[in-house]
Amino acid sequence: MAHVSIPMYWRTIPQRYKMIGQKCKKCGSVNFPPKGVCKYCNESSDFEDIGLSGKGTVHTFVMIGAGGAPPEFVEQEKAGGSYPVAIVELEEGPKVIGQIADADPKQVGIGMKVSTELRKVYNEEGVIRYGFKFVPD
Amino acid sequence: MPNALNRAIRRSIALYEIGKAGVSLICHQSERSFRCTLGADALVPNGYIRELLFRHLSAQASTTRVVRDSGDESALELAPVYGNEGMNMKKVAIVGAGQSRYGDFPEKGIKELFFEAYKDMVESVDKGMDPKRIGAAYVGNLGSGGFQLGNMSALVSEFVGLPYIHTVRVENACASGGYAIISAIMDVMSGAHDVVIAGGVEKMTDVSGTKQKYWLGVSGDTEFERLAGTTFAGLYALIAHRHMHQFGTKREHLSMVAVKNHKNGAQNPKAQFQREITLDKAIKSPPVAYPLNLFDCCSTTDGASSVLVCDAEIAKEFTDTPVFVAGFGTSSDYLAIHDRPETVTLEGTKRASKKAYDMAGLGPGGIDLAEVHDCFTIAELLAYEDLGFCEKGKAGQFIEDGRSQIDGDMPVNASGGLKSKGHPIGSTGTGQAYEMFNQLRGTVQKPTRQVKGAETGLVHNVGGSGGTVAVSILRR
Repeated sequence: MAHVSIPMYWRTIPQRYKMIGQKCKKCGSVNFPPKGVCKYCNESSDFEDIGLSGKGTVHTFVMIGAGGAPPEFVEQEKAGGSYPVAIVELEEGPKVIGQIADADPKQVGIGMKVSTELRKVYNEEGVIRYGFKFVPD
Repeated sequence: MPNALNRAIRRSIALYEIGKAGVSLICHQSERSFRCTLGADALVPNGYIRELLFRHLSAQASTTRVVRDSGDESALELAPVYGNEGMNMKKVAIVGAGQSRYGDFPEKGIKELFFEAYKDMVESVDKGMDPKRIGAAYVGNLGSGGFQLGNMSALVSEFVGLPYIHTVRVENACASGGYAIISAIMDVMSGAHDVVIAGGVEKMTDVSGTKQKYWLGVSGDTEFERLAGTTFAGLYALIAHRHMHQFGTKREHLSMVAVKNHKNGAQNPKAQFQREITLDKAIKSPPVAYPLNLFDCCSTTDGASSVLVCDAEIAKEFTDTPVFVAGFGTSSDYLAIHDRPETVTLEGTKRASKKAYDMAGLGPGGIDLAEVHDCFTIAELLAYEDLGFCEKGKAGQFIEDGRSQIDGDMPVNASGGLKSKGHPIGSTGTGQAYEMFNQLRGTVQKPTRQVKGAETGLVHNVGGSGGTVAVSILRR
């Protein structure tokens, strides 16, 4: 039993590997992750795919402890202790959730500058899932 | 369409065109035009025409109705419609309510739990009620771990002796029960049935802790929030941390919510945790998802609840002291917190309560007490602000000043809330209505928990981290 099944994961690979967002041709705003209709103007489905820089600023974060980790992340928590998960406001405008890696917990703070790297997320159903994580910039 | 039309009306000159087929409304704008065709007896939803064209009509009108259309623009007659009146919609009352004990009951499944609540509800009807009168049952449920995912409402209905009725499982995550109530209200309003059950049930302790986290953590944005390594504690912690950063809300403020709700829950014989906790204990409990610790989080619970909703015209057949539905509203929102313009506001709560306040013809000041969705302590602080009990950012001060205590000016969660009473997901919304029914009638089990003289109460039920919200306003 997995949360994010292999096909469900596979469909989002462009976002996870390359941070492909959608620039709305009507209002110019950037949606990430993708929407059917632009979440800023709510009027257009006419998008241009653009690769995001992956750079941004920590908007808020949480330190996930033992009781707060989903089962598929328990192994990570046991091995490395509490891990930070942040909502990051990207340079291009949208906010997105992701883990922060390679950071001293004391160093993580709201307003911290981060960039994005492709990392292993976890191994489920015998398939290693890779995706973006934030690292201190 | 409504939004576009609203914007157009605000910026433009509106004209009528009367055609034989009915009434047409054309709103001209310089570069675009919107056309809204209405039948001769059309009901125009609130906000379309009222704002600009019919200001002479009472602002209390919920809709505007064309009462006469002779084909002549100047002779077009329109009338305001107040509440449900004129739409031939029924007024709605609640005449009974029941709840099982909330807690961990290995000996009971969803059928037995639902039966316990149902029996309690039937017994609560002062003048008695023949179950044959029940025409429908809306049952809130998240799926009870997946063991009875399909047809569960038919199962629990036939188990309690209601085999041949209209019954539907209502699912909107933790707001399932709140939406079950609103489904029941709309059913009775429409005249489809005159006696209807709004119930809720959840069996959460049959599954292991690990499976529970698999099951429960997938009512948010699964693809991104879950794959970032969060459960709901983590998501609410993201909101809490931003709230602390933006408004100076202290960690102690979160714990004060837990202390208050445990104090109230200690007076509730049906609560899961009937014991008080100290502020020190709450603050020092183990971290789960910083800034949230163990005592900031509600538990997993087995339980059921049920309220009896009926046409207000027949309410006196059941009791001399019915509780009336004064208003209700719901709103959805972006599921993922990162997709929302504001992290520290549940827009769904703001919009759902605005609709309920408007329908009831009052504001937050007209509410005497509230049962709000405190799945995590931060959620209760957000509710104070988003329901309008205090300004945005001032919830920390609100709890610190004791205003939401039972003897405060806005008692919140006199039942103990989700935190102490328990959170059997599908039952939570109907359980809030059970508490409010008793509070407004002065019949809570222990007088220490009774809010004195309460006439109007609000119940607020949130699904996920705010993806769905249901609000109802009840009045005795």
